Amino acid sequence: MIPKRETDRGVDELLREALGDDLPADVAAGMRERIDGFRAGKTRESDSPRTAGTGAWLFRRTVWAALSILLLVAGILLQGARASSPLADRISAIKTASLSLDQIRR
Amino acid sequence: MNKAGLLYLVFGSVAAALMGFTGREIATAFRLAAGRPGPDDDRRKSAYFWEAAARNAWMLGALGSALNFTIALGSDSGSIGEMAGRMIQSLVVILYGLVLAVVCLIPAMKLADKSGAEAAAASPARRAARAAVSGRILGYVLFAATVALTILFLTGGQPRGGPLSLGRILLHGPAILVVFGGTIALALFAGRGVGARALTLGFAMTGVIALLTGLIQALFGFAHTNIEEISSAVAFIITAAAFALLGLVAVAAPLEDREVMDGRREKAGPFSRLFWVVFPLLTFICLVLTFIMVVTPMTKPAG
Repeated sequence: MIPKRETDRGVDELLREALGDDLPADVAAGMRERIDGFRAGKTRESDSPRTAGTGAWLFRRTVWAALSILLLVAGILLQGARASSPLADRISAIKTASLSLDQIRR
Repeated sequence: MNKAGLLYLVFGSVAAALMGFTGREIATAFRLAAGRPGPDDDRRKSAYFWEAAARNAWMLGALGSALNFTIALGSDSGSIGEMAGRMIQSLVVILYGLVLAVVCLIPAMKLADKSGAEAAAASPARRAARAAVSGRILGYVLFAATVALTILFLTGGQPRGGPLSLGRILLHGPAILVVFGGTIALALFAGRGVGARALTLGFAMTGVIALLTGLIQALFGFAHTNIEEISSAVAFIITAAAFALLGLVAVAAPLEDREVMDGRREKAGPFSRLFWVVFPLLTFICLVLTFIMVVTPMTKPAG
């Protein structure tokens, strides 16, 4: 426990004396107005463009992440299935030709 | 001598410089390299420019070799011996790149030495020099034109029988999917704060993984005596190496250059520097291995 300081004690007594009864009506109304204004501001902030921008950024990021995984998986699966391409076909033809040449030499 | 490779390297280096630096920064770098005096901040940036020029030459050399190698493989003309000769000649481009890189490293070292002592005390108020958009567009147009003209020049004199168009030879779908998918995934994983380094990491690491995957698949092909498997793996290696290098040269490196020149970073990241040196070297080794795999006759085991 933090010991209560002498100065704090003095302020407490002063407040107790000054605000012994309920708050005056005009002061209470002013306070309510300020609290409502603060709450309304917080609500507006949650709907602000900044938050909307963060949401859009997260959405874009998720889409990019999904797309990248999709590309990666498609590439791996196609390569695993030995997907044919003109370059692969050409290499295959060269290797077959070199094999035939080797067999002729023997 | 590979004249097309040499011209590609010179014009490609000019284009790569324009993609990452403004005309004023390039002019300052040449002026300071010629021994003119200049403020310490300009010296530091000029030293970085020459280092980037060396890096570009080295990576462009490897990219040129990979493209040239693919074209040599795809050509229908001549015997296997002639085709093997063209494939070996394509590897000369990386040698040109290495020589040009060494030439560019000399002013980089000289300028770094002179500005090194005061670099730490350089004014924190860095000039936020923005690259002129027109200069960057010019760089990209020149780069695309250089690559396209080199390919056209290399294939121009060779008859191309059958359905083997140039675009189809250079594009092995699975490798392109893996390189771009992996790069985007790694860049997203690295996050926004890493900046352009994320793209360098993405392209280089995906390229390395693709090269190793292709090599392992090719070795399995030899073990299974399956020519289709070996061919698919070799096509995967070549295309993955070419596209990873293209991404590094045309996307990641210019963005990192802009970060340094705009003062957003002091210098390029240590991992980026490592990748810029190591990945082209790995590409070269894989191209040599690929050449051996293509020209080595494969005999089926008896029985």
